[in-house]
Amino acid sequence: MNKLYLWGIIVTVAMLGATYVTVGYQKGGLNGDIVNMLAIAGAVALVIITIFVVIKYVRQMQTDTADGELADESWDNIGEYKNDLPIGWSIMFLGTMVWGMWYFTVGYPVNAYSQIGEYNEDSAVLDAKFEKEHASITGDRLVEMGESVFLAECIVCHGINADGIDGQSANLNQRLELKVVKNVIENGSNEHLLGMEMPMPDRNGLMNANNDYAPITDAEIDAVATYVANGMTGAGADVFAGTCVMCHGADGKGVDGMGPNIREFTPTLVTNVLNHGKKGVIGRMPAFDRLNAKQKEAVGAYINSLSK
Amino acid sequence: MFHWLEKNPFFFAVGVFVTIAFAGLIEIVPNFAQASRPTIGTAPYSTLELAGRHAYIKNSCNACHSQLIRPFKSETDRYGHYSLSGEYAYDRPFLWGSKRTGPDLMRVGNYRTTEWHENHMMNPSALVPSSIMPGYKWMFTTMVDVDTVLAEQITIANAFGVPYNKAVPMKDGSSRIVKMGSTLEEANNLALEEARAIVKDMKNQDVKDAVANGKIPEIVALIAYLNSLK
Repeated sequence: MNKLYLWGIIVTVAMLGATYVTVGYQKGGLNGDIVNMLAIAGAVALVIITIFVVIKYVRQMQTDTADGELADESWDNIGEYKNDLPIGWSIMFLGTMVWGMWYFTVGYPVNAYSQIGEYNEDSAVLDAKFEKEHASITGDRLVEMGESVFLAECIVCHGINADGIDGQSANLNQRLELKVVKNVIENGSNEHLLGMEMPMPDRNGLMNANNDYAPITDAEIDAVATYVANGMTGAGADVFAGTCVMCHGADGKGVDGMGPNIREFTPTLVTNVLNHGKKGVIGRMPAFDRLNAKQKEAVGAYINSLSK
Repeated sequence: MFHWLEKNPFFFAVGVFVTIAFAGLIEIVPNFAQASRPTIGTAPYSTLELAGRHAYIKNSCNACHSQLIRPFKSETDRYGHYSLSGEYAYDRPFLWGSKRTGPDLMRVGNYRTTEWHENHMMNPSALVPSSIMPGYKWMFTTMVDVDTVLAEQITIANAFGVPYNKAVPMKDGSSRIVKMGSTLEEANNLALEEARAIVKDMKNQDVKDAVANGKIPEIVALIAYLNSLK
């Protein structure tokens, strides 16, 4: 027998033995697991194939001689035969060219990674998840959600207690502050808190029906402003009934398309302020339209719960 | 045909380099040029805004505040649309920042107001109790340096073609002209005109008086700059 084959068999046996010992002395051995068995079978096959393929080529190198016609070029006296390309290599070469054309025109442009694409996919998934979890949320849970949005977005101006931080922004624990009501009666308002209602006229356009439709007086303004700021209690109810009821309703809860609710915050009102911002006697509030519709509704519910 | 090339390793290497470099150029340069062009709605900084930007850099605001919103849902929920490279076209240098000790300010003009900045710069923890930002009280008394602003405007307009005094397209289809003074006096007047509009919403009487007397405290310029970040 050729010496080479003898060595091949010795190395094979040694490696198989080493595999057997290593696996056998491991805790649990093959463990009756099909994946472990497949891995070991694959390892054994690789060992055997490798050793005998190596032997084949070593023998070929020992006995083979080159033949064929030499090309003209030689680089440092290393020549090149003008043999045909191996058929497998040629097929792969042409296949690569075809694949390259596909990749250039379709493969890359259609399937390429894009950071913005990943962002869009992520956002779509998260929006759908949000939608699913919060679609039917109502009542106390809506208020809780509104509180969490409020704590993240609104407290930098309105404060943790929603008290407006010493007059720096609106105090949301009451629907309207005295100076706000007074300012609106004096100067009118074009805030579109309902979205599309008529603007409120200034004091020259406000008449008291209980006083023969005479323009509203300073004393009346004081009285009705105090009445509204105190949550529709105390003196001033008669001026309110004579002047404000037509647009804001007898209970102050507003009339659709005419005047907004001035008794309590409603989700529609809060949503409109969040969409468009507002500018009043305290200052300008920017729009927060990056909140989604459900979040705006929740903030409305939370603010409504504060002033109760 | 290229036998001589194969025999000359040096020229062969040069040929390879030129081929790959050319391929790289035609792939990279047009895309890069397109992306770094100003986006629609991005305008050069006005005189007062640029003064505010100088105050921003001078006080190292960029050490704690980034100006770069990454395309992650968590960031766009908090700060607004992710940043585009063309939005930095007139930022020299850009103020991306590398660490957020405070929040990102890329679009702070969308959700904070003049009144808020005035209160906040005086005493941040009065508005945000958990804030570790210090107050910047000296900005209410230090005056801006319009000379430097005008010098920068002239430089960038001449060297980089920043379109001052030219119509710039806006998102709603209109166009806006950002004016640059041709003399120092004119630049001062432009800055004062903007400052008057800002102090209308401010409460600090000293600042109002200073602007009425033709001087501009840094806080006014800074607020103009922050309001312009959208």
